[in-house]
Amino acid sequence: MGAPPNKQADFFRAIAGAAPRDVTALYWYARVTLLSGVTGLAAFDRVFDAWFVRGGALEAAVPPPSDVESEVPAHRDGGGRPQSTVDVRPGSGTEASGLTTTAGRRFGSSDARQRDLMRALHTAWPASLPVIASRRRRPARHGRRLDMRRVWRQARRDGGELTRLRWTTRPPRARRLLLLLDVSGSLRQHTPELVRLAYTARQAARAEVFTFGTRLTRITAALASAHADPALAVVSRAVTDADGGTAIGVSLRRFLANPRFLALARGALIVVISDGLERGDPTPMVRATERLSRLAHRLVWWSPLACSPTYRPVTRGMAGVLRHLDHLGGVRDLATGLSEVERLPAVTAGPRRIAHLKEHR
Amino acid sequence: MVLGEEQLAAALAREGYFADEGLLTAVHLALRLERPLLLEGEPGVGKTEVASVLSRVLDRELIRLQCFEGLDSGQALYEWDYPKQLLRVRTAESRGQEIGDLYAEEFLLQRPLLRAVRSARGAVLLIDEIDRADSEFEAYLLEFLSDFQITVPELATLRAERPPVVVLTSNRTRELHDALRRRCLYHWIAFPDAERERAILHAHVPGLAEEAARSLVEAVGRIRALPLLKRPGIAESIDWARGAAALVDGGGGWPRALRRALGLLIKDEEDTRLLESRAEEVFGHR
Repeated sequence: MGAPPNKQADFFRAIAGAAPRDVTALYWYARVTLLSGVTGLAAFDRVFDAWFVRGGALEAAVPPPSDVESEVPAHRDGGGRPQSTVDVRPGSGTEASGLTTTAGRRFGSSDARQRDLMRALHTAWPASLPVIASRRRRPARHGRRLDMRRVWRQARRDGGELTRLRWTTRPPRARRLLLLLDVSGSLRQHTPELVRLAYTARQAARAEVFTFGTRLTRITAALASAHADPALAVVSRAVTDADGGTAIGVSLRRFLANPRFLALARGALIVVISDGLERGDPTPMVRATERLSRLAHRLVWWSPLACSPTYRPVTRGMAGVLRHLDHLGGVRDLATGLSEVERLPAVTAGPRRIAHLKEHR
Repeated sequence: MVLGEEQLAAALAREGYFADEGLLTAVHLALRLERPLLLEGEPGVGKTEVASVLSRVLDRELIRLQCFEGLDSGQALYEWDYPKQLLRVRTAESRGQEIGDLYAEEFLLQRPLLRAVRSARGAVLLIDEIDRADSEFEAYLLEFLSDFQITVPELATLRAERPPVVVLTSNRTRELHDALRRRCLYHWIAFPDAERERAILHAHVPGLAEEAARSLVEAVGRIRALPLLKRPGIAESIDWARGAAALVDGGGGWPRALRRALGLLIKDEEDTRLLESRAEEVFGHR
């Protein structure tokens, strides 16, 4: 954890002004001046402990916790943090009981067919996202509110006469897209194509992408690359629970417990890509989906099982979840993904929570 | 006049604000080093209160800027009073007078940040919920927070004679820019421990019995440990104490009053149901 020079200067000024009376006071002086966010707190505590309390140099440079955040290059913004950072108390993680794999999954390189589909998706995504008026006004030729500053400037040029009126509008802005991708073992064969689908979404729109299986991982930053294959390589290193067990309810609850992630869901178009096969009690999954449905502008569920025309969501989990969904679609690869993306404008324009009414396919 | 740490603690306590050592250090350093203070913490933990209490303790004016998405410089820094300027031009023309200076003080509408810079005795500036504003607004704040100066192109660069005490609060719904964080001192306010919360209750709910306060604080502590959607903050526990105190006067014991006043503490249907199912472990009885 680095502290920029002006923060270090603050720290020295603080101690120079009035010497701290004991180690605790020194700890608070250091923490208040050097720390800039609660996410660095654990590392700060370790460093302070090693240096000031135990005295002497740290045994080797204190290695960052050997989990995936340190491996994702140049993305320090907390991407991939599975635990809720709201609660600073230790031991808040609820690691699901299920198979947790730690090997990364190879996604291979994209062939020509996939590249064509990804290009098509690249243009399809922005065209399908719902639109909302931006909160920030912009100058425009026509509008409902006057732009007084420009009116006045124009009047000054015209000798104080109001010759021309200038307006502002609220330009349309695409709503945020939130993609929650299930990477557990039951979707194993579809995961490479689904991650490519997520990649096109990220490139084309204001999107946030998370994967869940036994852990919740934010891969938005990992997908930020001009080409698909390097991005997928980074993702395969970041996502360590691929092809493991399934703990949908726990992961979604963890998502909702983090205020930053919750703010991403508010008013967004939420797409959950999962088969909905949950180990154990599906109640947390149903509750979490209900909350997501209340937060979202529209909540859409894409399941590989729903590609089959004879599919009926009869498992307890999917049946419970169905009443909260605005649309249930079948997506198992890029091609079906493209057709579902093209169906999104109809979903956005339609009434809410009608997935259980529609005769599937 | 920079208060020492003990004097600061005593002064805050007199106003009913009981801060722990970390927060006291943070406030003390913010005053001594003349740096803005960025406070983060869960909702209801007392971040906004700090600023109002500080303004009373330091005897300075409190200037509050509530941030929201789309907040721009016109609403936060200053705005020229265009209608007045236009009217001045028109009346001067119609009377055949000189127009005079159209960029004089009288036409300047001073918004919170400019008022804070020009406040004669210094002010306490509270920038509330900075995470609600968008990143364009943070750029406006940067010049202000580094040097406490604001540039009005038509007038001059206005510098603060007495730098204001700036307190920023954030609910962590958005990641703030590094540039902003670097300029501030940082403190995370956690929920108070039992003893401190008892002191707060005694200060804000006069006439509260010792036994009642103890059982209330214990209950709140247990409730905060539950997986609630929204954990009750300090303001909620004060309201709960007041509500229960009002109900207990009308007959019925203290535990019953606590149960009846629960709506002042827990404000969500799902949380209420969860609490009801765990009532025994929280209240110690059915």
